[in-house]
Amino acid sequence: MSISQDLAYLRAADLDEALRHLEKDGACVHGGGSDLVTCLREGTVTCAQVISIGGLDDLRAITPTSIGALATIAELGRHEEIERRLPALAAAARAVGSPQLRNQGTLGGNLCQKPRCWYWRGDFHCLRQGGDTCYAAFGQNHGHAIFGAEACVYVHPSDTAVALTAYEARVRIAGPGRSSRTRTVPVDEFFVLPADDPTRETVVGRGEIVTAVEVPAPPDGHVGVYRKIRARGAWDFALTSAAIVLAFEGGDRGKPVRHARLVLGGVAPAPWRAAAAEQALVGRRLDESTIAAAAEAAVADASALDHNGFKIDLVQGVLREELQSLAG
Amino acid sequence: MSARDDERLYHEQGVTLPETPPPSTDPPPWRETLTVGKRRSRVDGYERLSGAAIYPSDMQLPGMLHAAFLRCPHPHAKLTSLDTRAARALPGVHAVIDDTTPEAAIDWNYQGGEGGRLFAGHCRFEGAPVAAVAAETPHIAREAVEAIVAEWEVLPHVSDARDADAEDAPRIRDGGNRIGEPSIYTRGDVAQGFAEADAVVERDFHTACELHTPLELHGCVAAWDGLDLTIWESTQGCFRVQEQVAGYLDLPLSRVRVVGHYMGGGFGSKLETGKYAVVAALLARRTGRPVKLVLTREETMLVCGNRPANSMHMKVGVRKDGTLTAIELTGRGSGGFWRGGTGLVDWLAKDLYACPNVRTELTSWATNAGNQRPFRAPGHPQGSWALEQVLDELAGTIGIDPVELRLRNVPGESQARGGVPYSSTGLAECLRDGAREFGWEEARRRTRESREAWLARGGNGGAPHRLRGVGVGGCVWVAGGGGPPATVLVRMYADGSVTLNMGAADIGTGTRTVMASIVAEELGVRLETIQVENADTGTTAFSGPSGGSKTVPTDGPATRDATVALKQQLLAWASEQLDTPRENLRYAGEFIEVRGRDQRLKVTDVERLQRRRSVVGVGHRGPNQEGLAICPFAAHFCEVEVDTLTGEVRVLRFLGAQDSGRVMSRKTFDSQVYGGIAMGIGFGLTEERVLDRGQTGKLCNKSWHDYKLPTAMDVPADLVSLPIELQDDRCNNIGAKGLGEPVTIPTASAIANAIHDACGVWIDDTPASPPRVLAALRRQRDRKEARR
Repeated sequence: MSISQDLAYLRAADLDEALRHLEKDGACVHGGGSDLVTCLREGTVTCAQVISIGGLDDLRAITPTSIGALATIAELGRHEEIERRLPALAAAARAVGSPQLRNQGTLGGNLCQKPRCWYWRGDFHCLRQGGDTCYAAFGQNHGHAIFGAEACVYVHPSDTAVALTAYEARVRIAGPGRSSRTRTVPVDEFFVLPADDPTRETVVGRGEIVTAVEVPAPPDGHVGVYRKIRARGAWDFALTSAAIVLAFEGGDRGKPVRHARLVLGGVAPAPWRAAAAEQALVGRRLDESTIAAAAEAAVADASALDHNGFKIDLVQGVLREELQSLAG
Repeated sequence: MSARDDERLYHEQGVTLPETPPPSTDPPPWRETLTVGKRRSRVDGYERLSGAAIYPSDMQLPGMLHAAFLRCPHPHAKLTSLDTRAARALPGVHAVIDDTTPEAAIDWNYQGGEGGRLFAGHCRFEGAPVAAVAAETPHIAREAVEAIVAEWEVLPHVSDARDADAEDAPRIRDGGNRIGEPSIYTRGDVAQGFAEADAVVERDFHTACELHTPLELHGCVAAWDGLDLTIWESTQGCFRVQEQVAGYLDLPLSRVRVVGHYMGGGFGSKLETGKYAVVAALLARRTGRPVKLVLTREETMLVCGNRPANSMHMKVGVRKDGTLTAIELTGRGSGGFWRGGTGLVDWLAKDLYACPNVRTELTSWATNAGNQRPFRAPGHPQGSWALEQVLDELAGTIGIDPVELRLRNVPGESQARGGVPYSSTGLAECLRDGAREFGWEEARRRTRESREAWLARGGNGGAPHRLRGVGVGGCVWVAGGGGPPATVLVRMYADGSVTLNMGAADIGTGTRTVMASIVAEELGVRLETIQVENADTGTTAFSGPSGGSKTVPTDGPATRDATVALKQQLLAWASEQLDTPRENLRYAGEFIEVRGRDQRLKVTDVERLQRRRSVVGVGHRGPNQEGLAICPFAAHFCEVEVDTLTGEVRVLRFLGAQDSGRVMSRKTFDSQVYGGIAMGIGFGLTEERVLDRGQTGKLCNKSWHDYKLPTAMDVPADLVSLPIELQDDRCNNIGAKGLGEPVTIPTASAIANAIHDACGVWIDDTPASPPRVLAALRRQRDRKEARR
């Protein structure tokens, strides 16, 4: 319940220095720290050296096609260009935590945050903590997954990741060792499902740092929304959320949908693309029956645990509400 | 106002003070007041806001050590071995104590008879302490705790009162899992009452366990000076802590000083001390250094108490004319392993509404979970959740407005006390004036139209999917009359400045401000100039802990008596000095006036005062008038919006109509109402302790993220505090009843009724979170489809 006194702290002067130090055993990246510090205090993450990248101002830039990993959530939420171009992302940013957390938290950290499962955060030696069982699978799983829940049933807590998936963003990752070594990963391949590896949440490897998120231009005439349902009005993660990006033929809401991205949050160990619901929309006018069909398709593959069956209703409810609002 | 005016002790001329009664005569009731009841800022507002106020958590003493506990990680386990060698060997560790430490081998009493040891080897709940460490820094203390090797034999546990009597339930308690006999109350004949009813509604309810999470953590600093122990503790009652610590350590009360000048919030959990105070004192004595022991948030959530969960079956019968014929409540709960979990859950069923036939039966079960502690209006919000919803359902059945149904059943006396009259009862005024102020009838018309239109369009799933509803709930609070003992001292110095000395804590309710207002009212001094010294067993006179909404009606009358006594003394001296009979003199603030003559004497010119340099008035709280029930009443009204697609409930506005007799300080009165409603919103919509029932039995949500207190976003900006200020000359000499608890009793039930008014579903269990509301809407949809 307290951060070790032996913890070393280094504020890197540039990305290369940060990457060099990150190669050491037990080193971890510190961006805004709003999640890391809590994890260190809880002992859920162990770390010998914290490498702060807070001084790397290059990683703060927001351009039309790229958002630096150190851009704060608060900046995303009030950035005019993002509001205009990626409205679902701006709305997702505004739905994060509380004003204090949005000021402190960064986009990179929001994507790389650790699970919010109370078993993982508590002193239960669960599968993801190196134990041999997922306590949530048969325990108090009100907040847990209805999709992709194999081995470990946690839900990914990020709001921004859900919106970025709807915008088909790519995550730029630097390292290991030096900044000239980089790769980009589509955001829907960025998260690791527990069935593949229950000990990690993302593909970010040892010695690597997320440096930016690249977002391609959405289709012409697109509209986008993000809606988050939570147990209280602020400082909470999603019971269920949805990011929806649509484009209509001729930019006319009365005409058939030509592009649809529906991504769900709070229901799976990664942002969960509702592909069947997208198919139910494309080529059809956004009327009541289309909306109902899409909402039903979204949960066709859902599988509830003992206490989270409500999420099946909730996903449909959120999609219906938001699609109705987009139908105008 | 210039700085000079600001420093003036007395009001400008023209102030009329209450008459000073002759000695041994009760002061007459106040009518118009100058300071009492006005919108005045807190006397310690600047200190609290600026950070100048020193809370126990802020205490730093030279050489102070920091302590931490090793706690049992299981809900039920036996300690099989404990090896503290590695902890002792850590540099910076000064002491490690456990049950083998001679002075720590203390029997502990968890209120209710039994309880085991200070460091018990057989742990009946997660978080039971088994060892403690004192070290140079908090970090070293924590590392030392982690270095202790404890081995456990994990035993079968029971997590929930609903599981405690299952056939396969482990037997966790000698003599069975039930605590005591069921508590049964009967009045009249409920069978006959139900037979006479035109409509009967019965439903099962469950209210979730709420955890105590006061902003300032539980904890203290302990320091010895020779044989004298001083403890700075965040407490609702320093004298209670003093008695508990002295008892456990076998010390005379005079050797234990407990100081709680400022404390950061208490809602019942700080009515008693915890093991931390005794352990801090033991470690301080052993090390010869002051010791600070403040629990972590996780620890307070495990061991510092809760409002128990309750399961209730509520059945009520009514005649067509709205007369209640019978109320029957069966309930169960658990207050942990040692304590009952159903106290006062049935009080509203027995006392709130007029009904000749009532039966209640409550059963407490032992569980392996944290102990209950009194929690703002113990039992009442739970019972209200069931009773008020059933009343609304009955109102719908017989076609009477919910407010009207309640008004038809306002009792003239306290039925649960065998027909004792109330000193005053404002229940009807709370309902009537509250409804008018809220715009109840117009709102009901509006919500009925939108609900019926929605249902006509197919209801669930139909547009518009966001619906508004309004709800009401009434209440009485079982206590709130205060009573002895309490002693208050008011002192005037030779320069006319005044100090108020009282034992009561100010737990954030504004006690200091209220009591200073009484002194200001009687003496004519300006409120801001009164120096208040309180909550210190070493320097103030006795008062019990602040709980039960008793501080204003207990210490308030004693404060008035003390101030009157001071005036009487000054008048007696002035009478001597002026050679005028005392009854010819009038105490008028800065001056003592001679009636009928243009002669006056400055108070500071009273020669005896100048010679003695100070004068003290003492007030003792006497007993209440016999044969009277002194209880506050309230009615809450709210409007909500329910999103029928997502199950979200947004509270749009709230009105609390409160009869607590005289308003003593309007700002702190309103703060209580707002705070009580905010807390009730938590009870109704967001808060729920989650134990790993069926698996480990451990607490899942021991953080402020997972345990959902409502935020500012969950409490409406449109909050109205409507005092129903009845003149009550019988309750005590200030005419005020308690307020702190009735403000949170009917909040959640009013919300549940509003949800029903919006969309026609009843919410049986708290909290009415999106999952529960969605489930209720799904049942509504399934029923409708089944009918087709």
